[in-house]
Amino acid sequence: MLSSYPFWWFALPVLLLPIWWHRQKRQRIKAEPLATARFLPVAAPEQLRVWQWRDRVLLLVRCLLLLALIAWLAATIFPWRGNTVLLDAGADKAWAEREIGAAGFSDAPRIDLPPDALQSLRQHERDWRPDARLLIVSRAGQIAMPARLPRFSHPVEVRTMPVTGQVAAPSTVRHPVVLSTSPVNDVAWRSLFAAFEKAGDGGNRYVMATIPDAATGLVVWDVPGETPPAGWRAPHWWIAAASAQAATFPELKNAAAITIHGVTLRYVDSPRGRLWTSEAFPPRDADTARVLYEAWQSLSAAPAPAYPMPSQAFASAGASTATFIDARPAAWLAYVLLALFLLERILAHARRN
Amino acid sequence: MQANPNTSDTASMTAMMVQTKDLALVIRHVLAGLGHGLHAGRERGAGVEFSEYRAYAPGDEWRRVDWKLLARADRYYVREAERDSHVATWLWLDATASMAEPSREIDGVDKLWFARTVLACVAAIAQRQGDAFGLVVCSGGKVEFTPATRGPRQLQRVLAQLSKARPEGGLPSAEVLKANLHFARSPSLIFAASDFLDWPSPLSEALLRLRNLRHDVRLLTLRTQAEVDASFKSGAGYRDPEQSDGLHRMSNRDRESYKQQSRAHFDSVAGSCRQNNIVHYEACIERELGAVLRSWLRLAGPHAK
Repeated sequence: MLSSYPFWWFALPVLLLPIWWHRQKRQRIKAEPLATARFLPVAAPEQLRVWQWRDRVLLLVRCLLLLALIAWLAATIFPWRGNTVLLDAGADKAWAEREIGAAGFSDAPRIDLPPDALQSLRQHERDWRPDARLLIVSRAGQIAMPARLPRFSHPVEVRTMPVTGQVAAPSTVRHPVVLSTSPVNDVAWRSLFAAFEKAGDGGNRYVMATIPDAATGLVVWDVPGETPPAGWRAPHWWIAAASAQAATFPELKNAAAITIHGVTLRYVDSPRGRLWTSEAFPPRDADTARVLYEAWQSLSAAPAPAYPMPSQAFASAGASTATFIDARPAAWLAYVLLALFLLERILAHARRN
Repeated sequence: MQANPNTSDTASMTAMMVQTKDLALVIRHVLAGLGHGLHAGRERGAGVEFSEYRAYAPGDEWRRVDWKLLARADRYYVREAERDSHVATWLWLDATASMAEPSREIDGVDKLWFARTVLACVAAIAQRQGDAFGLVVCSGGKVEFTPATRGPRQLQRVLAQLSKARPEGGLPSAEVLKANLHFARSPSLIFAASDFLDWPSPLSEALLRLRNLRHDVRLLTLRTQAEVDASFKSGAGYRDPEQSDGLHRMSNRDRESYKQQSRAHFDSVAGSCRQNNIVHYEACIERELGAVLRSWLRLAGPHAK
């Protein structure tokens, strides 16, 4: 149990208030009827004051209500996550399984790797129990190396896929492209890449192929209603709008969208590579082709960080309360508070009648 | 003090009788215990004026001739055992709030239950003897009046009225009572059951007035064993159900003065009755009902006209 505002716990003496209320002396007004009371001396009412507990259930509910209120104000957090694997959806499944098994996280629950992994992990680290360990499994180039060593209060291990030759070489002029299109759009795609060769400094060469190999940087898929062969891998896939159906590419369902120069591109990471789709595939006119080129150029460097993080493990740096400053209290505490309040009102009402 | 080995039996029997709402059943039970006295002493018993024989006169019904006496004396005598056809029995029930005083020893028994049951038994005896009987219930400042007639249907009527009585309010005022004393013309027998905590009161004055009009008035004063022993829980607050004079306390110091005051009160009640030649009987509601009834009626015997 952790608190962001622990000084609220100093309000605990407020609990004495209902206790004092329920414990205070009251003049008793109840009296038994007695037919022969006339033969008894008249009693002054003050002599019948009693000092006793009243309405214990109501007292209990009131104390619990105050306690819950203080806990809520103190933003009490109850960590609930144990050992967890943060898994990059685009990582090679077999490799990822191997890495997870090697790190001893085989039966740990898996969650998707958030986009800005280390930063968001730091923000949500309070969700993990103190004895929890974390494993991040991702492709190379997905996690940026921070300038300073990150400090986590849990042991965090990062395992990234070793770099292979499939990452596009930075300044080669040759761009191996696999073109797999329907005959109708084949001309449009080929003229697009022809235009790409002319664009910029004119130094880019797009080499067309029909089957991807290790050097393939881009696969263009424009065969409506067909799924690409299972073995095809490439860093980027362009999928024509007509082919981007849920049946053939289910991953595109939760694709993120970006708009550059008026062209909306939707992309998602999958085991095949990063899938891109847009209404502008294939471009209808020269203007669209130019805009697409600019957008592609501005994106081409972006996905991979300048300094990707290699595999490494961070030891626990001890608990630091600094990360809990903006924590929200547990949501169920608010429901408990509401329920207790209702109960208290009902009981108080029932007591009056 | 005489220990009664049957105390617990009495208590359980009384507790059982309280359970039933059927007054007729209770009456049968009580009067069965009374059985011998009632039947063997039919003529001499309670509530029946002394009968006499008179010589047969032409016109008398044959069935009224006493044939045994004819055999003995060889003369016709007619039994003038007319069950006091001119004497009506009046049952007077006090159903004010103070009659709700419960027995602190037997659950469910209170003064009103006891008074109502005793009066129901008297009504049943009167009905068996063929007397006319009526009922007066004083409750909530009013008087409920059931005219006197004979017969089993009258018994049902009276029992229903008795069962209906609830303890509430105070005694009716003297004017109200006086307006309801119109039955006082013919000679009658009056059985009144109350706690007589108010004495003198409109009720006591009305009864004294009736006595002065040559009616036979018989009072049953009901108390509880706790009242006699002053064995109330001490430390508790008490209030009078009929007077709003605040709280009363009961501490161990107060027991003796309570006993003295209540004794003095009931002595004055008894003295007043003796002075006016009224039969007065004081009983605790924890006692066996049949025994109380017997004692009350027997006490009335020597005073009967």
